[in-house]
Amino acid sequence: MSECIVVTSGKGGVGKTTTTANLGVALALLGKKVAVVDADIGLRNLDVILGLENRIVYDLVHVIEGHCRLKQALIRDKRAAGLFLLPAAQTRDKTAVTPEQMRELVQQLKEDFDVVLMDCPAGIEQGFKNAVAGADRAVIVTTPEVSAIRDADRIIGMVEAAELPEPELIINRFRASMVEAGDMMNKEDILEIPAIPLLGMVPDHQDIIVSANRGVPVSFDEESLVGEAFRRIARRVTGETDVPELDLSPDSGWWKTFKRWMGFAPQQGVAG
Amino acid sequence: MKDLINKFFGRPQSSKEDAKQRLKFLLIHDQVDLTPGQLEAMKSEILDVISKYVEVEEGESNLKLERLEDCVALTSSIPVRRVVQRAASAG
Ligand SMILES: Nc1ncnc2c1ncn2[C@@H]1O[C@H](COP(=O)(O)OP(=O)(O)O)[C@@H](O)[C@H]1O
Ligand SMILES: [Mg+2]
Repeated sequence: MSECIVVTSGKGGVGKTTTTANLGVALALLGKKVAVVDADIGLRNLDVILGLENRIVYDLVHVIEGHCRLKQALIRDKRAAGLFLLPAAQTRDKTAVTPEQMRELVQQLKEDFDVVLMDCPAGIEQGFKNAVAGADRAVIVTTPEVSAIRDADRIIGMVEAAELPEPELIINRFRASMVEAGDMMNKEDILEIPAIPLLGMVPDHQDIIVSANRGVPVSFDEESLVGEAFRRIARRVTGETDVPELDLSPDSGWWKTFKRWMGFAPQQGVAG
Repeated sequence: MKDLINKFFGRPQSSKEDAKQRLKFLLIHDQVDLTPGQLEAMKSEILDVISKYVEVEEGESNLKLERLEDCVALTSSIPVRRVVQRAASAG
């Protein structure tokens, strides 16, 4: 049975696009047939994070306006079997599509894919309404910051108003060392407010920047802790219930590296 | 310097260099609203036409957007192997 999951947040810059790309990759690596859709019309981004920007000929608006067939616009990711991207238009805006058209598009995608992952634009206006229109469930991304959590809380209400089931939360850019120092809200603090189930936490990590530079999502990197965080979240998304929580405790610097190097400790990616 | 060393040892270039190259490429394509994929499609159509007259080295042909001082130019280099029969007999 296929489903469409919208990745949303309210606030911009919290990691929706990063999350969509990495969950897309991780779900494909689990053997799912996945279409990631960039619903941020006018500010195309997902193609760059996935490193597929060179392959775009047609985009979502071309499909909706009937200038090409859906299959012509879908870009196959050669690195992960089953992963496809439907890019956003770069020179149009949100008014180029309607929620009704998006619903039809998603319906069409669901005929061919197990999972349709929709990267939602920031905000609560038409872009959001378009992205949510065809969704069966929502994942809300937040960071451990007051403004992001406040917006996440607001979005929960909007998701419920759109008659979707209770959304699930991803806490991104988590910094265990700051939590330890008392300078960042911890998991329990955060979950008090948007009282929805947690899908997982993603550490704040430089791997994300390097992977964005290269256009290779970090979920491909077996050794990366962030990659492992996304891979575990992907397993939970598919309904696996006994995925162990990833150990994000502060890296104790050279000693841990030394032990890993000596082979005394597991690779960072599989720790926890 | 680090890039030079990496090059010397045949290591992949730094991710910063990747980022710079990809960014330049994106900006120039955004400016004329032509995606790299569309440019690729255009190139193969152009090569089809040219191949009617001369034999071209497809693998070594390129067509790209370049930023000149005050405009973006479409530049191409299409190596020709030899004139095909029809054009040759016409001369
Ligand atoms: N876990 C993370 N660690 C470090 N940087 C991150 C992380 N997640 C996102 N970022 C950075 O935050 C910025 C915004 O991310 P993005 O996915 O584009 O957010 P959104 O789509 O919500 O606007 C990007 O520069 C990205 O590299
Ligand atoms: Mg985004």
